[in-house]
Amino acid sequence: MEKEAFTQRVKESEVEMLERGITFTIYSDAGNIDRAWPFDIIPRAIPKGEWERTEKGLKQRIRALNQFIQDIYNEGHIINDGIMPADVVYQSKGYRKECHGMTPAHGVWANICGSDLVRDHEGTLYVLEDNLRVPSGVAYMLENRKTTKRVFPELFKLLNISPVDAYPEHLAEMLASLRPDLSNPTMALLTPGIYNSAYFEHAFLAQQAGLILLEGADLLVGDDDYVYMKTIHGLERVDVIYRRIDDDFIDPEVFRPDSMLGVPGIMRSWRAGKVAIANAPGCGVADDKVIYAYVPDMIRYYLNEEPILSNVPTWLCRNDEDLDHVLQHLPELVVKPANESGGYGMLVGPHSSAEKVEEFRDLLTNDPKNYIAQPTLSLSVSPTCCDETIAPRHVDLRPFILSGDDIYVTPGGLTRVAMVEGSLVVNSSQGGGSKDTWIVDESRQIMEED
Amino acid sequence: MLSRVAERVYWLARYLERVENTARLINVHTALLMDLPEHMEVNWFTLVTIFDAEQIYYTKHPRENEYDIMHFLLSDPSYGGSLINNLSAVRENARTSLDVLPEEVWEQVNELHLLVKSELSSIGNRRRRQKLLLTVMESCQCIWGMIANHMSRNYAYDFLQAGKHLERADMTSRILELATLLMSDNRSDALRQHEGILWATLLRVLNAQQMYIQAHNSSLKGEKVLAFLIQDNAFPRSLSFSVKSIGNYLEYLPGDKRVLELQGEILARLKAYSAEKNPPETIRLMMDELQISLNRLNTSITSNWFYPDYSAS
Repeated sequence: MEKEAFTQRVKESEVEMLERGITFTIYSDAGNIDRAWPFDIIPRAIPKGEWERTEKGLKQRIRALNQFIQDIYNEGHIINDGIMPADVVYQSKGYRKECHGMTPAHGVWANICGSDLVRDHEGTLYVLEDNLRVPSGVAYMLENRKTTKRVFPELFKLLNISPVDAYPEHLAEMLASLRPDLSNPTMALLTPGIYNSAYFEHAFLAQQAGLILLEGADLLVGDDDYVYMKTIHGLERVDVIYRRIDDDFIDPEVFRPDSMLGVPGIMRSWRAGKVAIANAPGCGVADDKVIYAYVPDMIRYYLNEEPILSNVPTWLCRNDEDLDHVLQHLPELVVKPANESGGYGMLVGPHSSAEKVEEFRDLLTNDPKNYIAQPTLSLSVSPTCCDETIAPRHVDLRPFILSGDDIYVTPGGLTRVAMVEGSLVVNSSQGGGSKDTWIVDESRQIMEED
Repeated sequence: MLSRVAERVYWLARYLERVENTARLINVHTALLMDLPEHMEVNWFTLVTIFDAEQIYYTKHPRENEYDIMHFLLSDPSYGGSLINNLSAVRENARTSLDVLPEEVWEQVNELHLLVKSELSSIGNRRRRQKLLLTVMESCQCIWGMIANHMSRNYAYDFLQAGKHLERADMTSRILELATLLMSDNRSDALRQHEGILWATLLRVLNAQQMYIQAHNSSLKGEKVLAFLIQDNAFPRSLSFSVKSIGNYLEYLPGDKRVLELQGEILARLKAYSAEKNPPETIRLMMDELQISLNRLNTSITSNWFYPDYSAS
């Protein structure tokens, strides 16, 4: 394609995203609550054969993670059997003693998971994070595909690309499966509201999956422990809640009392089995970056299988030898706090000033338990459109995994791209962009004559 | 349906109707002033009086000129009734009701908002301003078309329609207050000379000229125009049509029927209008009362469906 024609299509995609109001909010952009979603029009292609193995690995991983969460809130076999130290679990910020003794439907706690996958320069695929709390981005995956279809319709005729649009349907089915006792449960998505960075996605998913879009103030918990929403007919019961609010804010009676976003009493209702909450409260414990290091052991322990997908090699600073190693090699490593998401509060050694490195040296020495370190992966790159030329930019991949009575993995997922040359930070909250991701079946070439 | 969502779609409709009416009013008024001599009772500032915004206007602008008045009514971010603020309110309400609205409605609202924002700097230019106002009207019509053609006749639809008709009745009544000016005994000779144009303009502001002519041939008699705009049963922007429509949609909604009683009373008063019983000098008072009643109706809708007392249920 000629450069001019290509530039034209880039412009079309930008106008399209803006007009359709596909936006993302950056908290620090004061006064401007919407930013157009930065979209790169060059799709990233992954061969189907390769993807099938990844998909299998993701299913394996989520099965083990869910069994782990179920275990630690009940018998705690993994601790009793000496696979994991007790304090790693019980002192994790994501551990909620209020969840002890609970078994959600199907024994599944993390119903919606958005794992981050990266590939290093040698081509090895790693799971970087599991993201079991309230992962976002799936709406952008769907919108990216829609936009690519409008901008490059001819390519879909030439290639065999797996469709992604079934996600909302699978989401609705999965949520319904959380109330096997009801034939037609009332299902809702609980959003923190319009000022949340992912509000667009909340509204989009509610609309696409037929969920009622709720804010905390729309709900109350009755004396009978059921959750009710305030409607023009009066109060109506809600049976399943897909919450996009962190544990901390979900119930001011139990967690943060200053939360204006949550619903007082909702934990009581959940514990009484009168409402299903996805993801289940307390499941964030498995997002802890120290616990992450044990996932391969969990897979072996619960499933008696070898992990299909690799973990990034991780040093646990709580161990003295690991800490020594980390302190000696600090400028080469990536250091992450155990319990943050979105790329906040971390050190990327090779890209940081000496001052910043020293700052982390102090943090690690004072509070080693709260940190892990990993080698700086030189992430794989993908051709990306930058100021009218095409240049390599680092990418990762976030597939979405739904677990209810069954497990569904999106074909591909959201490819996030670091728009700044050399940058490894792909987080949308820190200015990263995204690409449409194609799982291409190369064994089935479609002829142009078709 | 959630009470909060009901409230948001109701206000979405009110603001959307307000945007369209504001655009049409300014567009038609501009055309009218091109035909009139200067220094008449009808001038640029008439627009500010229609919006009851004289006081706020004077706190910002010492003089009454086209430029300041247009800026104030269209693009002033600090005046709540400006077109851009109404349009932003449409957008905010649409953004928080995405799950009940047809997808295209949000896209259209968003597009219109982007367009108006980018064109606001050019409203000093009369030609470009008129063009922008036409686009705004078309876009509003397009949104209502999408709602009519793509939306199930559900509660959200009922609240949208009730909001639209209530807002329309309010706006029509404000414009009819002008009629008092046109019919007053001590009106100027200049005004008397241009009476025909002025009545025609009044009809055009409400998009009523063509339908009026069909119903009454071309005779532009003040009394006939008033009667047409107050109580014509067939014309969808007449006051009684709007108030009757509010009832048509509220009727489907669950709960208290007292709201309907109030709406019925307002309708009955409009039906009782006649040129003999209501001489021109009483029109202003009648419209003031109507606006107060519509306000009460709004309050009643709000407490009935948006903020009911849940402890009672």
